[in-house]
Amino acid sequence: MPAMNPFSALRALPVRAKPTAALRAGFQRPAVFRTYADKSVNNPGKLPQSDDKVGPNMQQQEHVSEEAAKMAKITGGEGPDIEGQGTPVQEILEEDKKARENAPKVMQDSMKNGQGAANAKPSGSRSFSTFARRQQEDLSAQSGASEIDPSMIPSSEQRAVYAGGVNVPAVGHKFPIPDMTDRKPHHAGKYRYDEVVNQVTNLIMQHGKKATAQRNMAHILTVLRTAPPPTYNPSRPLLPGAPPASHLPLNPVLYLTLALDSIAPLLRIRSQRGAAGGGVALQIPVPLGLRQRRRQAMMWILDVVSKKKSRGSGNNTFAQRLAEEFISVVEGRSGVWTRRDAIHKLGTTARSNLSFGSRRR
Amino acid sequence: MSRSICSRCLSRSQFTLETSASSPLPLNTAQRAAFSTTSALAANPPKKKGPVTAKPASRQGKTLRLNKNVRESTGKPPAQGERKAFRKKIVLSNTNALEVQGLQDLNLENSSAEKLAHLEGQVLALTDAQVSALRTLDVFKPTQAWNLFRKPATVIRKETVEIAKALESAQGGEDANAKQVIKRILFGEKGSGKTVLQLQAMALALNKGWVVLHFPNGQDLTNNQTSYHPDESGKLYVQPEYTANLLKTIASANQKVLSGMQLSMKHTLPFPVQENISLSRFAEMGANNAENAHAVYIALMKELTAPSKPTTGKGQQRPPLFLGFDAIDHVMRLSKYLNSEAGLVHAHDLALVNDFTRYMTGEHALPNGGMILAAVSESNRAASETLDYLLDTKYGAKTNWAEPRFNPHTGWKAEPMPAWSPYAPFDERVGKALEKMDVQKVEGLSKAEAKGLMEYYALSGVLRGAVTERLVGEKWSLSGGGIIGELEKAAVKTRI
Repeated sequence: MPAMNPFSALRALPVRAKPTAALRAGFQRPAVFRTYADKSVNNPGKLPQSDDKVGPNMQQQEHVSEEAAKMAKITGGEGPDIEGQGTPVQEILEEDKKARENAPKVMQDSMKNGQGAANAKPSGSRSFSTFARRQQEDLSAQSGASEIDPSMIPSSEQRAVYAGGVNVPAVGHKFPIPDMTDRKPHHAGKYRYDEVVNQVTNLIMQHGKKATAQRNMAHILTVLRTAPPPTYNPSRPLLPGAPPASHLPLNPVLYLTLALDSIAPLLRIRSQRGAAGGGVALQIPVPLGLRQRRRQAMMWILDVVSKKKSRGSGNNTFAQRLAEEFISVVEGRSGVWTRRDAIHKLGTTARSNLSFGSRRR
Repeated sequence: MSRSICSRCLSRSQFTLETSASSPLPLNTAQRAAFSTTSALAANPPKKKGPVTAKPASRQGKTLRLNKNVRESTGKPPAQGERKAFRKKIVLSNTNALEVQGLQDLNLENSSAEKLAHLEGQVLALTDAQVSALRTLDVFKPTQAWNLFRKPATVIRKETVEIAKALESAQGGEDANAKQVIKRILFGEKGSGKTVLQLQAMALALNKGWVVLHFPNGQDLTNNQTSYHPDESGKLYVQPEYTANLLKTIASANQKVLSGMQLSMKHTLPFPVQENISLSRFAEMGANNAENAHAVYIALMKELTAPSKPTTGKGQQRPPLFLGFDAIDHVMRLSKYLNSEAGLVHAHDLALVNDFTRYMTGEHALPNGGMILAAVSESNRAASETLDYLLDTKYGAKTNWAEPRFNPHTGWKAEPMPAWSPYAPFDERVGKALEKMDVQKVEGLSKAEAKGLMEYYALSGVLRGAVTERLVGEKWSLSGGGIIGELEKAAVKTRI
């Protein structure tokens, strides 16, 4: 009877098997460094022991069905069948010839009739989407601008940080965070325009027409300035420390930066050909730099915008669509969020491949 | 005996088989079999099921077909007029912008030249009545940044004070008999504020109870987009739809003044009119019926330009007249309309333009005083060599050309008097129309005015940071010496 593995979908993701490298003679591997145990103050070099001699996994709660079966046994009723749980009867019959002969007629008939949808064996795997808790689109809780989730409203400390001039106290840091208040941006005095604006202008430029791109950029900022303040969506959290929505229209550059940085992916997936064995590409998450992250986010937005239909005519239709997409990003309506989620999810599942390069050496 | 096959080419039937000698149809008419009511019973034979063939090749024929390029139409297409509405949309308010505390209105109290001279460099808001009238007159343009601020407001500049003085002198000041007509053409760089200066003049005129007429864009008159027909004389061309629309704007923008005035003369009109009908009602009659619009327009102008007789009777008090014309360069050349010889009609042969030029030359008098304020468009400049030359020479005659002057592009330099190109034909009609017109060059703001404007930007919250002398100087220089459109771009639109 094959054991059922509910997480067999993980096999779809090739994980490179650890190479069985023969140890060289005379080479001794250093002992594994165990952070907690080695740093233990009371008895260095020894594992910590609990007072009641019970390990962390030794006293677990029973499974619900086991508990129900026990309760049923006490009360004299019939509880759930724990023994046969999880093994479909079709599988038993497939293996056991004698059982097949003694099976009820209904089952024998269905076996003769072949495999229909009714007789289909459970696949033994679940779809990926049921692994993690699905992100609920909690839009019902958000009916108006005034009913923002209190967690979305920045605290007074966050506002102070946003306004500048306050040092974030070093909590959980070994060394204090450097004072960045007087630090000018690296391009100060070098470029006329803001860093993000500059990059986005260049990314929306086509055929080297920079003046057109700049006009489009100006229109985007005008739209952001004049559109009603966005309503934040709690299920699509923006960057931490984002200002209240009503502050955004009067600072369109911040609006743009917030939209772009909130959807910017942290990593990309590099496919190493043949590294997973058998000609399968190994997917390795690679961290991105700040400009690269923004570029990727902008490319996703441009993908969406170029597919949208224009509802106007004249010079500024593209810029109008682009500005509307930025607004929908901040409001959590944009489809770009799902692309970001997909990349991050893939990065999470492929994180075991992170050390691919270092293991080889 | 004649043969049915051509003996030369052996290919064509010389006589069609079913043509009888008595057939009235000519020989080259398409001939068909006789009419039959029998339906085609023989259906196509059922296809034989042949052996299973391989999948057909992805490309058939010689033409390149890329399936990927087929566009999928998603969603509802834009409704009729929706796309143009997006382009022409004029938004006059931004609820995100901060309300400026202590912002004064350009009301009657602040309309005098003396008061405005004190307010120079400050920004004054337009009142709601002015905004609705000016919106009707189509003075607000989509390229101007009205949509960034809480309410429409304009900066009072040196030229505004001059215009206010001119309006006062046209009205005659204390002496009611000393009424004048001010005739002026505004020109200057793109974005220098010619249209907004017209707007300010109209706002002031509306405050003073003038009757305001405005042609918002000369191009609309000449680009062959509205219907036209020759009038009775056959020399001029009437544009009925445009005239009806113009009457509508006149009646709507001057509702208060015109409803207090009555028809006083006998006019030959194609429809019966009540004797003492109010002029606003009379204009609406023309607006509602495009066929009568031109006759109504002529009669209305006669009424408005008749001498005022306040003692004779009720409704005979006639205020001064403001005649505005934007983008006048489009009517200083041939229009796009065709005459009966398929030649281009000169713009001055269009009845409305012809009427306007008569006011410019003084053929039609304005006995109650008034102002003719035309402006040249630089963002959509129509090529008119005669106009260019006349503007330059008139401006040169006004100022001293020998004196070096500052040009932000070339620095301090004395420019030579422009000479007429001997190879270009001089348009006599344009020359005659501009003979009596004064020219005024609209130049950049002074630094003090620029500072006042930028402080207004900052108070509205659209310009972040403090307005310092340094910032003002920087933006003033960037904008070619205070060209207001460029200043707006540098300080608000692209200060990014």
